[in-house]
Amino acid sequence: MDKQRIVEKVNQVFEESFEIEKNELAPEKKIFDDLGLDSLDIVDLVVALQQKFSIKIRDDERVRNIRSLKDIYDYITKLGEEGVLPKDGK
Amino acid sequence: MGSKDKLFNLKLIFLNTTQYVIYVLYSLLAIPLATIYVMLKALFSARRSTHRRVRKLIGFWAMGISFITLPFVKVRYKSNEANSEIGACIYICNHRSFLDGFLVAHPCRRREVVQVVNVWPFKIPVIGVIAKVAGYLNVKAMPFNEFSSIAKSLIGNGVSIVSFPEGTRSKGKAMGSFHGSMFRIALEVGCPIVPICISGNEKVLLRGNVMMRPGEIKIHELPALEWNEYKDIAPFQLKIKVRNMIIRELTVMDGGV
Repeated sequence: MDKQRIVEKVNQVFEESFEIEKNELAPEKKIFDDLGLDSLDIVDLVVALQQKFSIKIRDDERVRNIRSLKDIYDYITKLGEEGVLPKDGK
Repeated sequence: MGSKDKLFNLKLIFLNTTQYVIYVLYSLLAIPLATIYVMLKALFSARRSTHRRVRKLIGFWAMGISFITLPFVKVRYKSNEANSEIGACIYICNHRSFLDGFLVAHPCRRREVVQVVNVWPFKIPVIGVIAKVAGYLNVKAMPFNEFSSIAKSLIGNGVSIVSFPEGTRSKGKAMGSFHGSMFRIALEVGCPIVPICISGNEKVLLRGNVMMRPGEIKIHELPALEWNEYKDIAPFQLKIKVRNMIIRELTVMDGGV
């Protein structure tokens, strides 16, 4: 899955699960401060990302270091490089 | 500094000193009397009634504190009469000043309430003990599941909860982002949400300052958001919806529109 597709799918998660407008989803946006998510929303975000990418990330320590949208894009890209993402790219 | 400024500052120091002395005297009189009253009543009544009594008395004491500031600071309330019909609810308030915990006592006066507070109020001598006895919720002292279970039980027993979901005082007029815990609880319990907007308080008591300045504080109680109106909304959207309702009202209250 290429980076552009990952960005699209992550953004879809924010649009569908949190109804955040597309124009607010810039890579530098901080998840807590700019997008308004809180610690409980992060649980929902992880579940939504797991469903969207067919992955299991709940116990991955790296999730704790995510601060911005760009961090999510990079993290999912890294999972792709590690071969964790399904190859069909759905 | 001009002589006019010096005079103003001296007047301010005098007014503040008087004000704080009255607060202390009032509390020194009111708290022991209320404690004796509650303890005597507790001998002949159920634990639940004692809780109710303590919570009501805290509300009266807090209203007294707000009343003492009246010659100095004008407080204007705009209550919502339709809200008197609803049962236990969750009050969602914006938070600009240390005074807010006292100021919300007036709009909440009809109900038995507990506040969701930070760790530090529990550390204040006497007040901390009273807060514990009243069952005030220390949001940082327990995991969400435990907090949620206590909050649900309170609402189930007809106790309303006052919450400041920004978690801390906002820096100026821009409201901080909301934490969603109370909104998740509201969705589960199905109780009304009453937004409370407080404006002008940020000028009366500046962040990090103990010196109060003369001014006007406005408190508006918005119409309750009933469960039927929000039951199909996800917790994140619900907190954004209520936050936007408060922002809209505050913009008008701050003179922005």
